[in-house]
Amino acid sequence: MDTLPDAFPSSTQVKFAAPFPSGAAGASSQGLPGVIENPEPIARIKVHDPPKFDLESYIANYVGRTRFNRLYLIGTSSTVLSTEALKLAVAEAKSGKDVSQYEKAVRALSEVAPTEEDASLDTAWVHNVQRQVQAQSERLEQELRGYKNNLIKESIRMGNEDIGNHYYETGDLLAASKAYTRMRDYCTTPNHIASMLFKLLNVSIERGDWLAVQSNVHRLRNAQSKPEDQLKNQPKMAAALGLAQMHSGSYLDAANTFLSTDVSLADTFNEIITPNDVAVYGGLCAMASMDRGDLQRRVLENSAFRNFLELEPHIRRAIAFFCNSKFRPCLDILEAYRTDYLLDIHLQRHISEIYTLIRTKAIKQYLVPFSRVTLTSMATIFAPQVIGGEAQPTGVSSPFVQELIQMVKKGVLDARIDLEKGVLVSNQTDLRTEVQNKTLESLRSFNEEAHLRILRASVLHAGLEVRAPESERRSRGNPGPNLRGMGMAERFTRGGLRS
Amino acid sequence: MEVVEGLMTQSAQLREARNLSDQSYDRQIRENVSSLRRVLSTKALGAFASNDSLLDHFDPVADSLVYLFLLRAQTQAFQEEFRENVPAALLPPGNLWSRIVSYLRTFDPVQVRYAGQEWRQLVELVAQASQVPILAVRLVRDAMLRLDPSCAVFTSTHLLLARLCLRARAYTHALPVLDRHVCHFPTSTPRATSGFSVLPCAAHDSSLSFITDTSGLSSKLTYKDYLQYFLCGGMIYMALKQWCKAAHFLEVVISMPTVGPISMIMVEAYKKWILVTLLEKGKLSSPSNLIAPHVVKLYQSLAKPYVNLAHSFSRGDLAHLEAEIDAAREIWCTDNNMGLVSQVLGAYTKHTVMGIKQTFAALTVKELSEQASPMRMNDEATESVIASFIMSGALKATLVQNSTRGSPTMLRFSEIHSAPRLSDESKAQSRLVRESQSLGSLMNGLDEIGYHMGLSNEFIDAVQRGQTWAGVGDVNSGMSEDVGLEIEEDLMGEVS
Repeated sequence: MDTLPDAFPSSTQVKFAAPFPSGAAGASSQGLPGVIENPEPIARIKVHDPPKFDLESYIANYVGRTRFNRLYLIGTSSTVLSTEALKLAVAEAKSGKDVSQYEKAVRALSEVAPTEEDASLDTAWVHNVQRQVQAQSERLEQELRGYKNNLIKESIRMGNEDIGNHYYETGDLLAASKAYTRMRDYCTTPNHIASMLFKLLNVSIERGDWLAVQSNVHRLRNAQSKPEDQLKNQPKMAAALGLAQMHSGSYLDAANTFLSTDVSLADTFNEIITPNDVAVYGGLCAMASMDRGDLQRRVLENSAFRNFLELEPHIRRAIAFFCNSKFRPCLDILEAYRTDYLLDIHLQRHISEIYTLIRTKAIKQYLVPFSRVTLTSMATIFAPQVIGGEAQPTGVSSPFVQELIQMVKKGVLDARIDLEKGVLVSNQTDLRTEVQNKTLESLRSFNEEAHLRILRASVLHAGLEVRAPESERRSRGNPGPNLRGMGMAERFTRGGLRS
Repeated sequence: MEVVEGLMTQSAQLREARNLSDQSYDRQIRENVSSLRRVLSTKALGAFASNDSLLDHFDPVADSLVYLFLLRAQTQAFQEEFRENVPAALLPPGNLWSRIVSYLRTFDPVQVRYAGQEWRQLVELVAQASQVPILAVRLVRDAMLRLDPSCAVFTSTHLLLARLCLRARAYTHALPVLDRHVCHFPTSTPRATSGFSVLPCAAHDSSLSFITDTSGLSSKLTYKDYLQYFLCGGMIYMALKQWCKAAHFLEVVISMPTVGPISMIMVEAYKKWILVTLLEKGKLSSPSNLIAPHVVKLYQSLAKPYVNLAHSFSRGDLAHLEAEIDAAREIWCTDNNMGLVSQVLGAYTKHTVMGIKQTFAALTVKELSEQASPMRMNDEATESVIASFIMSGALKATLVQNSTRGSPTMLRFSEIHSAPRLSDESKAQSRLVRESQSLGSLMNGLDEIGYHMGLSNEFIDAVQRGQTWAGVGDVNSGMSEDVGLEIEEDLMGEVS
């Protein structure tokens, strides 16, 4: 695989970005039909390299519906693991009650490996489960109606919760979130509210409805629960909020949130996220958004987050390398784990953007001490394959130089490229001239604006506005001009009286 | 003959009165003007009217008033005699012409304030009379500057001058007037505070005090006059390639307040404005926020081809740009904007090269034309284009040709922030001084406007308080002048 960060054409990135906001937009209006469930990427990213993790042990870290979603994603993205992962996914779905999940997994498996025995639909099971689910739904609705007639708050709440759980298990996420929302009015203790909000949180995370995730986290934070409960909930809240922030692209916020996650998270939130994930997400987001000083102080020297980082030592090494300005090893580590992250359900969409950000920052950081750097020495660090492969490693057509050109054009690098001598020259700023030019420009624009306004006022004062010919004639006859001669204050009171 | 003697005594009285107080000087001038007007209208001069030697009795400087009326009388006599508007005797080789010329260069600006109509007629006559407009340009301009050195009050003479300069192609001659900001228009009453009358002969801070509706120094103005003036002024700046000022003048035209419909002059100015901003900045900038949104929409729909042109320019799509120019060739020609449009292509190339300058410190010409993909020229042509940019001073760079044949020419841009040279420094200083002067003159104009409208800081405070009480809108806490003007606009909207 090409090791450049832009190995994936930006077009796929765009395609991936597209379904996300539409899901988020639908989020605010929960009741609307047509909210996208589990936003399905239009074009799947295909990963051909084997990842470093072992599938069995990887998936054993998680519980709940996320297992299926992760397996399905790996099965459809990775060419190496597709059969294995999809078979697991089918088994996972069959152990649950969600028929649509099962059908999806079987369809995907039949595309990859039609000869497998799991690749054909078990219609008997499907019918059976469908019937059971139907019966269960009716029974629960019936019960709820009964509770409502009895007007016992606690029963109604539990009835709604049961219905929500039922829908969640069967994959009707919209109905589930509606049912959970209905619990709100019947919650009597802060504990009830917190548990309801966590249920909502899980559903919204699975739906990819990140706005709802954020608002639920804020509600949780404002819920008046006991301090010890608050403490217990903090890690989960932080992890969920961090996820939401990462998905909305604000990596700095996400990094801060992940960094503040308490170690007590452990495996309490395995239906969504594991401590390993927190380490990876937090570390990557921090590298993408913080400068060296901050990374050193707030990530490496952060004793709480250190516990997370120890779970993923390569992330810690990468950050340490970055802080010590050893960019090549840092980028090498990240590249080595690119496959793993591409198979992560949350990182897949963001990894190429995060990597580009890290790389850009590394290049910027690298340039700081120099006033001019040879392109060759830069290329050995940031694009070693260019040195070996290209005839003209620092010619204008080499991809590394093109990348630099794009960065300069975007204003990321304050430098210019000297193609004759093959160096990158950083721009010296001359404050004196700059200030002079700025002063002149602001004076000029102020003068123009002032002139426009003065003229405008004069035109109005003299009654010379641009008007249609006939209205011009009329206004000469009426006592308009007299009014203009009047004192301003008098006119104002007139206007004031009229209005 | 006794008429002439009467005139002589009058002018003698006037010379004496000059040393008296303003009031008596004012009274004396008023008396003289009314009697002179009577003489002129009753044709009391009779045969003297066409007698050239009559003028020898008077001094054009000290007896400006009398001299002016006599000149008027003579020209009238000629006009009647030859039954044409501009008789041959008035034309340049004639005796009267040279007298008029010397008069307009030396007249007493204070006395003339009282005989504005006659003075204006004389100036207009000069403008009409010369077959070659360039002869009149400097005369008219100097007369204007002599009468009102600030030129801040718009008169019909302003428009006259701008038109003359355009016709004579004597663009630089108009600059002394154009560079002074027009801030006011003659109003019906010199001061809103009636009660005491203002003496035109006194020393005034602002020429607004003596150039009024009734002074006759300007003919009756309509909105067309000032729109045309600013459009013509913009065109003069365009001819001189001072795009920045041209854009400002055109912006004045398009941002003028309207009641209902907009004028075609404004639409024309908008079209030119788009082209000028393209030439200056290389992009379509948004027009001033003073323009009402519906007016902007109107402009855009009326100047569709221009907007399209600007869009394809800023998208950096040369093929599209060329297609756009070709497609609407007829429109450019009918709007008389072909000249500007043909400069747009050159400006495009320049902006592309400037963009490359931001990215590269040095590169070969070949690489440059690759970078600027739309430049479909061979290397020699590109090289000569760049050489012309460097020579014109638009681009600071050097071209290095290699002595061995066939090796590419290297283009090296000089540092963006090279060490300031002394000449740059002094240039910047003089520009700063110029801008601050114009700022000062604008502030004077602003004070004047504020005074006329009865706007004072206390008043603005009261208005603000009133608005907060009424809870209408939010008062922006910007500069007080700014706020004042905006309030002013709102009020005007209500009143008119």
